[in-house]
Amino acid sequence: MSAAATAGVVRSPRRDWTALVDALAPFAVALIVGAILLAATGRNPFDVYGLMAREGFGGAGRLEATLTAATPILFTAIATAVSFRAGIFNVGVEGVFYLGGMAGAVVGFTLTSFPSPLLIVVELAAGALIGGLWLAAPALLRARLQVDEVVSTLMLNFIAANLTLYLVNGPFLAPGSANSATPMIVEAGWLPRIAPPSTLTLGFVIALILLALYALWDRLTPLGFEARLNGLNPRFSRAIGIDAPRLILKVMILSGAIGGLAGSAHALGVTHRFVVGFSPGYGWTGLAVALMGRNSAVGMLIGAIVFGALDSAGTTVQLFSDIPLEIVDVLQGVVTIFAVVRFGRLRGRRSAR
Amino acid sequence: MALGLVASAAWAADKAPVALIIAQGGLGDQSYNDLADKGFKKALGETKLEGKEVESKDVVAQGENMLRRAADGGFGLIVDLEYSHGDAVKTVAKDYPKVDFSILNLVEPGANVASVLFKEQEGSYLAGALAAMVASDPKIKGIGPKPIIGVIGGTKSAGIDKFIAGYIQGAHDVDPKVEVKVAYSNNFGDPAIGHQMAKAMFDEGASIVYQVAGGTGIGVIQAAKETGHYAIGVDTDQDALAKGHVLTSMIKRTDLAVETVIKDYAEDKFPGGQTVTLGLKEDGVGLSPMTYTKDLIPAADLAKIDEMKKKIIAGEIKVWDVTSQGYPSWWPK
Repeated sequence: MSAAATAGVVRSPRRDWTALVDALAPFAVALIVGAILLAATGRNPFDVYGLMAREGFGGAGRLEATLTAATPILFTAIATAVSFRAGIFNVGVEGVFYLGGMAGAVVGFTLTSFPSPLLIVVELAAGALIGGLWLAAPALLRARLQVDEVVSTLMLNFIAANLTLYLVNGPFLAPGSANSATPMIVEAGWLPRIAPPSTLTLGFVIALILLALYALWDRLTPLGFEARLNGLNPRFSRAIGIDAPRLILKVMILSGAIGGLAGSAHALGVTHRFVVGFSPGYGWTGLAVALMGRNSAVGMLIGAIVFGALDSAGTTVQLFSDIPLEIVDVLQGVVTIFAVVRFGRLRGRRSAR
Repeated sequence: MALGLVASAAWAADKAPVALIIAQGGLGDQSYNDLADKGFKKALGETKLEGKEVESKDVVAQGENMLRRAADGGFGLIVDLEYSHGDAVKTVAKDYPKVDFSILNLVEPGANVASVLFKEQEGSYLAGALAAMVASDPKIKGIGPKPIIGVIGGTKSAGIDKFIAGYIQGAHDVDPKVEVKVAYSNNFGDPAIGHQMAKAMFDEGASIVYQVAGGTGIGVIQAAKETGHYAIGVDTDQDALAKGHVLTSMIKRTDLAVETVIKDYAEDKFPGGQTVTLGLKEDGVGLSPMTYTKDLIPAADLAKIDEMKKKIIAGEIKVWDVTSQGYPSWWPK
């Protein structure tokens, strides 16, 4: 039996449909809650939502801003989904996002004589490498010593955030800067913009390619199939001879590499340096999006665009209205809460094994 | 309701409206952003211009999006408080030559960009001079037997050492024998580190510690209160954070900076292409009114500080600027 045929048995087209509904349901609920809140504070919800839609999707420029904001979220969602698929509750993507960003920036302001395409490749590779190595540690702890990966990856996030904070205030601080930022990456090391002057870069295209590869991995490769079996039923997967420790190690390294790549792509495409405030929590938003999208490629794409729109439109809408940022925060919060309902179910299944 | 482009009719009146981009930390930080916002509101009230503040949870990455949207959304002046937006301001200003931009604490090129810098070294000079005088007077409560003062910087960089050099120069102009301890926290957001470092300085005999470390500095002020010594605040008037234990604060008037830029814009005098530098002369930096400590400090000392201020304004005292002059020969090794 080919892997493709097997995948067909495990996953029916109907699941794709429910994944879509699952991805959109939290957003719909959030809109209703938000509408009540807006009405209660004396605003017309339809006006506000109309303006939000205009700022998020009205015209090429606005759409590009939304997709720019969606890019890091899409990356971190894929990184998270890779391990969730295998039933490994890895919450360490936020940490590797920081590390990957720092690694990409350091390469980008150090190897200044490299030609453009090569420099970009080295920067991205540095991010992926550090991310993969970083999450290999909790993977080994889990595989060999049964150390709960939720705890270890969560703790590693604090270490990663503080390590980069130390580096940006110490060895890698830009000379002359009063604020916490590394020197700028040389322009040859920036990800090119695909529709100037908009901020949308090649990073979005890389994320889309990665999403397609993820979908193929999930459905067609032996590792993807093993991961899914392990996620569905670890005891069964062990019984049929899947080497769980090896699987965990591979999947976590893959997740870390994608998370690190996410960080370096963000540094190369958007911030052009590592700076304090580098991630407003992209790893966590990506986690929520992976849950909302049930780890499906389509679901995650939609989820990332929704969050990207809230981020971008939620900011610019303040220019044209009196909607405070808090309302947007509430919308994001409600979407996340309903995504976390999925989290409860996933955890339930995990502890039941 | 002032929603959408409906509002643009009102804006057409005279000058296009003003946008203020809020830095990391957001409104309600009781510090940098709130102070700048105060100046923003005051200027709008007096010029009758329309204006909007813009915040984001993702300030760093949303920079160019906010600037671009404001520029093509009909705003005539965009004031950006976030230091990480320097590059974005430069790029967007080039694409929108008819829109005016202003950025604080950074210099960016462009005929339509006004950069605003502060002479933090001048205010720090006065802080150092006052600290040296008070620390040399053991009769004052909380002052140790030896004239030792300290300073804690958030990071070892020219931008922070600009404050520290001014502080040392001021202290040594009062009395070269005053010892100035210098340390860096490598962190702007951790009061626990500031608390620990300040305590160590007080243990080593320091009586007054100046904090140039943002949120980390809150711990310095706490340590001063606990040990019965003194701290010196920075950026905003922090004297009330530990009444009687914050000797003074070196205030940066970001409110004045924002207010000035907007008023100049309203009067068609926008300083595009220029770097506006605000020092003691412009009242852009200075010491707090010392509401809770002025009774502790001998009147003669306060008079002397006033005199020094006048001399700096007159150019008789030149305060060292690390960012433009590099490090002085007397910089502590």
